[in-house]
Amino acid sequence: MPTRFLTLDAMRVLAAYGAAVLLFVIGGFVHPGFASFASVTSILLVASFVGLVAAGQCFVVLVGGIDLSVPWILNAAAILLATASLGEDSRALYAIAITLGGGALAGLTNGVFIVWFGVPAVVMTLAMNGIVEGLALGLSGGLTCTACASYAPPIVAAAVHGVWLGVPAALWLWLVVIVVVTFALGFTRFGRTTYAIGNNARAAFLAGVNVNLTTVCLYGLSGLFSALAGILLAGFGGQASLGMGDPYLFQSIAAVVIGGVSILGGRGQYLGAAAGAVSLTALVSVLLALNMPEYGRSIVYGVVILALLLLYGREEAE
Amino acid sequence: MPPDAAATLAARPQRRPRAAHVLGQNIGLVLAAAILLASAVVFTLMFVIQQQRLPGSFEITSTVNNTMPLAVAAIGQTVVVLTRGIDLSVGGVIDLTNALAAIFLAGSPLHMIVVSILVVLVGAGAGLVNGLLVGLGRLQPIVVTLATLSIFQGLAIRVLPQPGGSVPAGYTNLLVNPDAPTALIFLAVAILGWMALRRSRLGVELFAVGNDEAAAVALGVNALRTKIVAYSIAGALYAVAGLFLAANATSGDATTGNSYTLTSIVAVVLGGVSLFGGRGSAIGAICGAFITTMIVNILFYAHINPLYQAFYEGLFLVVAVVLGSLIGNLLRRRG
Repeated sequence: MPTRFLTLDAMRVLAAYGAAVLLFVIGGFVHPGFASFASVTSILLVASFVGLVAAGQCFVVLVGGIDLSVPWILNAAAILLATASLGEDSRALYAIAITLGGGALAGLTNGVFIVWFGVPAVVMTLAMNGIVEGLALGLSGGLTCTACASYAPPIVAAAVHGVWLGVPAALWLWLVVIVVVTFALGFTRFGRTTYAIGNNARAAFLAGVNVNLTTVCLYGLSGLFSALAGILLAGFGGQASLGMGDPYLFQSIAAVVIGGVSILGGRGQYLGAAAGAVSLTALVSVLLALNMPEYGRSIVYGVVILALLLLYGREEAE
Repeated sequence: MPPDAAATLAARPQRRPRAAHVLGQNIGLVLAAAILLASAVVFTLMFVIQQQRLPGSFEITSTVNNTMPLAVAAIGQTVVVLTRGIDLSVGGVIDLTNALAAIFLAGSPLHMIVVSILVVLVGAGAGLVNGLLVGLGRLQPIVVTLATLSIFQGLAIRVLPQPGGSVPAGYTNLLVNPDAPTALIFLAVAILGWMALRRSRLGVELFAVGNDEAAAVALGVNALRTKIVAYSIAGALYAVAGLFLAANATSGDATTGNSYTLTSIVAVVLGGVSLFGGRGSAIGAICGAFITTMIVNILFYAHINPLYQAFYEGLFLVVAVVLGSLIGNLLRRRG
């Protein structure tokens, strides 16, 4: 048997990138200017929000979990950023710190209940989504509080929109996250541990891995990344709004899966998930460029995800 | 030397008393019923304190009618979860069938019956697509149904772009009579249907596949067919839920079904159905659906700010699941 040049996992990541490039080419044909530099960077900027949430989702999916609390951790983070900073640069650092802390805390709580109280991940994160939603809505009076009208601090807005070396600053941030996460998963003890737990938690435990602590930390990271995406989205749009986190649950899971990460855990890379985020955003942009109505976009979106999964997301036959 | 009869008897492990055995077997269902009873008692107490009377026919009827769509959808979710799957497309199928019902339900009773049957068939078809993708496609249920959710939602908006349509009063009265809790008859039919399914070959296969697919296949169970049938039955039940929703609202909306994806999972979990497959019952899921309605009622009568509703529901879900598993463990250890 000839040795494979690329592993199956690497093929999946490449396929996700191939899909992204293909979509940009198709977009360029159907809509002149779609593949221009300015258009591509703006699509990548939108993709970066999905990509950041997908980083957290990737962590928990790698250990066979799932995080359904993404929408409201993201939304509450955006609200918290606005109300804690009151739109002032002088308070921005403090606001960013407590927002990220809050996101991480919610994620860690998920992890604690999943690991030590045996609550299924689907149930725990679903409940956490409701808990955070209720708190965010209740404490802000349904986003009617006076502080809720505050804009995101100018620094944060500048960090998203500001251009550095011809590319939006948020994209540089995403690039850093991609490098750090890929390195952490591929070349550190933390990464080995994560894959070991995802493949066989019991075997990992017997090999001396602190399964529980690692799992809790991974859920904490997922909360942290959702909060980070919320901060950047508030900076992107200027203000927090209700329901702004809703699309990110579907998209983060889809990005992770399209990127070749096994939903059962233990297999896949964040590089793939990042490509998945770009593919999804490019797909929506192409459909918008085609003036496709909402229902059509929704249908094509589902069909494309299924098609990609059937191409390379199937389990091996027994 | 022949073994001493008395010694052999003493050495034999003691059999558990029958009652404890039954309790251990149905622990999820028992806990669900207990939570339902407790929430009903709390609700009644609050109602009596504030209204100076017992909840009457109106309160019972509205509780039953409001719970019907969720109860039926939760039965569908149970069938899928039993095979160690999960169905996120519930909301999309309810959206689609609800929209179809609001547009086409009209005219003579015969016409309405035919339309209802066709709508249920559409739901079964949607479930069949899920089942084929999961079974033949060898894809993970959570991903498949996430994608088909998007597809079904899109179709629903295509069918009914703006909320509208209408459901004849006669149809509403038949399904969710506003004057008496006659909808309970449908629940009784559903429970009988479940008990028949549980004792049928298909029912056994559902549990077998959910408990250990490899072992089930080795024993001659056609796991592929079982899964496809399970998703199809679930789809048909979501369609029935869509019909109940349309009858309750007397009009259609292509987005009202969305919330049922998550609430059906909550109902199933509260009903003691294991998300790891192979354990649970539709009766528990029905209890779970009524518990969620009861919680909303209790929050309303406790004058909780509606903005905090999601907070208390989430908190209740965690507490119920944690307490449930603690009590379950205790009982199993003792029994």
